[in-house]
Amino acid sequence: MGFDIVRFVGEVDEEILCPICTGVLQDPVQAPVCEHAFCKGCILEWLLRQSTCPVDRLSVNVLQLRPVPRILKNLLNRLYIICENNTYGCQRVVKLDILDNHLAECEFNPKRPFPCEQGCGLIIPKDEHKDHNCVKELRELVHKQQQKINEMQQDMVNYRYEMTGIKEEMRVLKGYVRALRVCNPSVRAVTDDIERDEIERWSSSLPEARVTRWGGMISTPDDYLQNNIKQALIESGCPAHILDDLVKNCHERNWPSGLSSLETRQHNRRHYDRYICKRVPGKQAVIVLPCDNIMVSDDMMAEPGLIMIFAHGIE
Amino acid sequence: MNNIATQRIKREFKEVIKSEELAKCSIKVDLVGDSYTELKGEVAGPPDTPYEGGTFFLEIKVPETYPFNPPKVRFMTKIWHPNISSVTGAICLDILKDQWAAAMTLRTVLLSLQALMAAAEPDDPQDAVVAKQYKEFPEIFAKTASHWTNVYAGGPKKNIEFDSKIQRLIDMGIERDHACAALSSYNWDLERATEQLFS
Repeated sequence: MGFDIVRFVGEVDEEILCPICTGVLQDPVQAPVCEHAFCKGCILEWLLRQSTCPVDRLSVNVLQLRPVPRILKNLLNRLYIICENNTYGCQRVVKLDILDNHLAECEFNPKRPFPCEQGCGLIIPKDEHKDHNCVKELRELVHKQQQKINEMQQDMVNYRYEMTGIKEEMRVLKGYVRALRVCNPSVRAVTDDIERDEIERWSSSLPEARVTRWGGMISTPDDYLQNNIKQALIESGCPAHILDDLVKNCHERNWPSGLSSLETRQHNRRHYDRYICKRVPGKQAVIVLPCDNIMVSDDMMAEPGLIMIFAHGIE
Repeated sequence: MNNIATQRIKREFKEVIKSEELAKCSIKVDLVGDSYTELKGEVAGPPDTPYEGGTFFLEIKVPETYPFNPPKVRFMTKIWHPNISSVTGAICLDILKDQWAAAMTLRTVLLSLQALMAAAEPDDPQDAVVAKQYKEFPEIFAKTASHWTNVYAGGPKKNIEFDSKIQRLIDMGIERDHACAALSSYNWDLERATEQLFS
């Protein structure tokens, strides 16, 4: 809704009034063909009821509304308006274009949030300060928080209960699997298949990576770095049964003979480019999995895969 | 009432007061109470019509949702017109219904009503009896409308013949308004009006 015309200093031209609210245009838009201008709020409200221009009834819909010409905006911005907190004592008369800035910091705005000075520190609108009671408000706050805590505790009890159930089921299942393995050797092959599938699925979900600087390899990462990589692997959905072994394989002491020392690495450098690498999401590190690298010789590969961490140079 | 409706009505009220039509005594608006939700309108019967010389009062109710919805307007003064109910004063005018537009004002509504009085739309009637008479017996219609203007809106043209027929019915114990309505509906045929009133 537009600004009440009585708030303006000096003459206000009829042309800059909204035909709907008869106030001075606020946030104006115009109809496409007839170019009649309205406050955005007013015309949207009208178009909910009828898809016509309120002045000449030409067909208009919301999507056809256009911004008004710059010249009209400039005319509006040049007007001087009395602050809406005038009744609360604000004497300021500002140009329309800085009205919003002024209102945001107008000391007389009764709704301006203000911290309570009596000690509770809660931030409340200025006009509510006189009826404000620290003890009462804080009590309500405590009450609400207590409710939240109770809910969370209840949730926790439920989760614990569910967890116990799941653990028990897991124990029984493990027992079954163990028993099956003992009396039927082919079961081992089945589980191996499942695990391999799982690795392949994970691998195909990872983005391919290219190493531009093999020299930046960190072959002896510290625990912190290793942990960091482990977290990233977990988040990327790394199958649990290879997670720990894979993380161990980011250190040169677990690397195969072809990579285990600086000399052998220098020697085998030309083979590096044959590796098909996958990116550890968000890290300067790559995963080299046997399933992606069937052609690579055994002395350049380790089970269940290699992780190489770099200082830089991963694309 | 919300701000936008109040702001509009206040301005429109001023607009009518300042208008040249008011100066010519052809339209007028007054407040009823101090809430701006109800107003009393006044239009003069247009010249060269049976309504000439009459003053017609209107009840104007401004809805909460004004100006997104039209004001509710009704004739308080009884009038004989195809698009206005002779019983309730309800008006059949497109701009007061689906053809309302938010930029219309009290002034334009009153002027539209005045135009409607000058140019009836008998094919879109509010009062079927009046519309039928308008189409079939235009002379009787004009006389009847003129007579109603005289009786209810202070118009100048007295019709001695009609008055005496009404008086005959009053003498039989019929209320004046009922007598006038019945005679008007039966094209001033005293016998048929009587029959209808006593049946």
